[in-house]
Amino acid sequence: MITRRTFGLSAGALALGATAGKALAQDKSAVRIAAIAPLSGAGAFDGQLAVEGMQAMAAVINGKGGVLGGRKIELVTYDDKGVPEEGVSAAKRALEQDKVDLIVGGWFSAVALAQKEVTRDKIINVMTSSQHPKVTEEGHKYLFRLNATSTMMSDRYAKFICEKMKLKSVAFITINDDYGRLEVENYRKLLGACNIEVKGNEFYNRNDTDFTTALTKLRSLNSDAIYVSAINTSQGATIYRQIRQSGYKGTIIASAGNMNPKLVELSGPALEGVYCVSLFAPDTDNASAKAWMAQYGKMFKNEPSFIGSLGAQAVEVLAGAMDKAGGAREYDKIAAAMKGQPWKTLLGEITFDGKGQALQNIYLIQVKNKKIVSAS
Amino acid sequence: MDSDVFAQLVVFTQQVANGLANGMGYVLIAVGLTLVFGVLRIVNFAHGEFYMLGAYFTYYVTALAGIDYLGALVLATLAVAAIGIVANQFFFRPLRKEHEFTILLSSLGLALLMANGAEYVFGADPKYVPTRYADETLEIGPVVVTQQRVLVIAVAFAMIAATYWFIRHTRMGKMMQATAQNPEGAQLTGINTGFVHAYTFAFACGLAALSGALVGPTAMLTHTVGDWAVLKGFIVVVMGGLGSVTGALFGGILLGVAESLGGGYVSLGFKDAIGYAIIILVLLWRPQGLFSAGSGRR
Repeated sequence: MITRRTFGLSAGALALGATAGKALAQDKSAVRIAAIAPLSGAGAFDGQLAVEGMQAMAAVINGKGGVLGGRKIELVTYDDKGVPEEGVSAAKRALEQDKVDLIVGGWFSAVALAQKEVTRDKIINVMTSSQHPKVTEEGHKYLFRLNATSTMMSDRYAKFICEKMKLKSVAFITINDDYGRLEVENYRKLLGACNIEVKGNEFYNRNDTDFTTALTKLRSLNSDAIYVSAINTSQGATIYRQIRQSGYKGTIIASAGNMNPKLVELSGPALEGVYCVSLFAPDTDNASAKAWMAQYGKMFKNEPSFIGSLGAQAVEVLAGAMDKAGGAREYDKIAAAMKGQPWKTLLGEITFDGKGQALQNIYLIQVKNKKIVSAS
Repeated sequence: MDSDVFAQLVVFTQQVANGLANGMGYVLIAVGLTLVFGVLRIVNFAHGEFYMLGAYFTYYVTALAGIDYLGALVLATLAVAAIGIVANQFFFRPLRKEHEFTILLSSLGLALLMANGAEYVFGADPKYVPTRYADETLEIGPVVVTQQRVLVIAVAFAMIAATYWFIRHTRMGKMMQATAQNPEGAQLTGINTGFVHAYTFAFACGLAALSGALVGPTAMLTHTVGDWAVLKGFIVVVMGGLGSVTGALFGGILLGVAESLGGGYVSLGFKDAIGYAIIILVLLWRPQGLFSAGSGRR
């Protein structure tokens, strides 16, 4: 099997080289932003949504004349396979071989944590959906992160769960990585504080497709709710369906920030009525969001998702900050600009603290009639 | 009975049921793999990709053409079997006289071609194969199994029995046995081994597709699912003995139940490691396979 894996890797690398080469040929004066995302492996679909979001926003900005007085934004995509080592090598290629101007990546926490050491103090690196607090706590002077940390998300979510959901007990099914372990730790504390008993937790692995073993254990705990921490769409949908198939009749809680239209479609009745918190509510009336969603609809057949909106926000904020700094490689000035003022974006107003961590609105959303809508 | 003991017993029975359902899925995957090895002497890395194709074809036929799931399953099986004939013709038949390693590389190349081709043709977005059995459950007391999993178990048993009967009692099956035991001797008695290879390969691809169509709906479908399938298939084949159909049956059930009990009572993170651990033990102590009677029989 080792042989096969190596073959897969090198074939992937070849394919990647080809796409990167194509992207380069267009416009010499374009500002080149590396889009490092999981384009294969279990997170492939989420990576696709992320890159599509970035491309749609780049098209919106380019349509308005681009940045820095007429330079177009060009994305160079890299596959991190959702794996830290691949994320590191992608960042190295972007930085050293392709010499891109800016880097956007860090969809999964484990990848972001490894990747930030490659970009440390060398290049502006915007991390997107990763939620682990250490991404920014141990970040660097050019590092920013858009998503709320899992601590910020869980504070908001736990407040809602404690006040509105009337639960006496909960059990968790969690992905076994940096993000998942931290989630369980957070919620054990937060839900414990409002007297919701945590009856148990089962960790699963990134490539699992069968959860019946874990769910059999969880079902036997008889908790009022099961909290599902799933960061990729295909695994998430499988878990939600298998929870209902296991005969569990209690409440399902979807982990913060991991709700998208495809997940709703794939999960079918299993997700109906389920709550989640997110930075993106698709029924927003924000003008930038509307322009982006319209452009997205023209370019892609998927529906605009939260993960795509974060990619778009990365491009939007970087474009604004570059204009303010007066150059694509003026990293000190770009960093200062990003931290220096609030930015109006498709997700509403965003500000960055001294460590590059974003502060932005967290909305409560719910699945109703197979649509994601704002809830209160 | 003490209620706590009863609850424990329910969990145990449920885990065995889960393991049995998963295991029978593995059996379906492994039978085709073991046949191809036994008769054609090919370690077919692309077997998982035929599983993937079976699942995708079922998806397209039911979700888009609106044909009932069971009809789609049959269509997908036949279509993939036909593709198997073509694949054998282009990727394996021309290499018959080459070293086994060359053939192995050819199957690896075919696997990569199919997996990447599937991403290109079907897209990276996960799909869900709709079946009316997936969300319906069968409840035997407190033990819950979905009808889909019951269907997997039933079809797998039926297919194993049919395959066994076919190999033992039909002319084509006996030709397969002869080719497996001694290809040159078989040719001397007038058996067209090229033809035997073609239908064995097609049969195996059909079985892979059938398993994809049946097991596919228990999870979301992506183009990378073949990796998973071929890995499980290999573990079962090594456990059961290369080329042994009955070995595949017992190997599959053993792996499924061992995974679910190991995952349930030791650690879930350890679940995948169980298969590898079993392989190492088998290769060390019984390299001919746990359920293989001797070295000569297939």
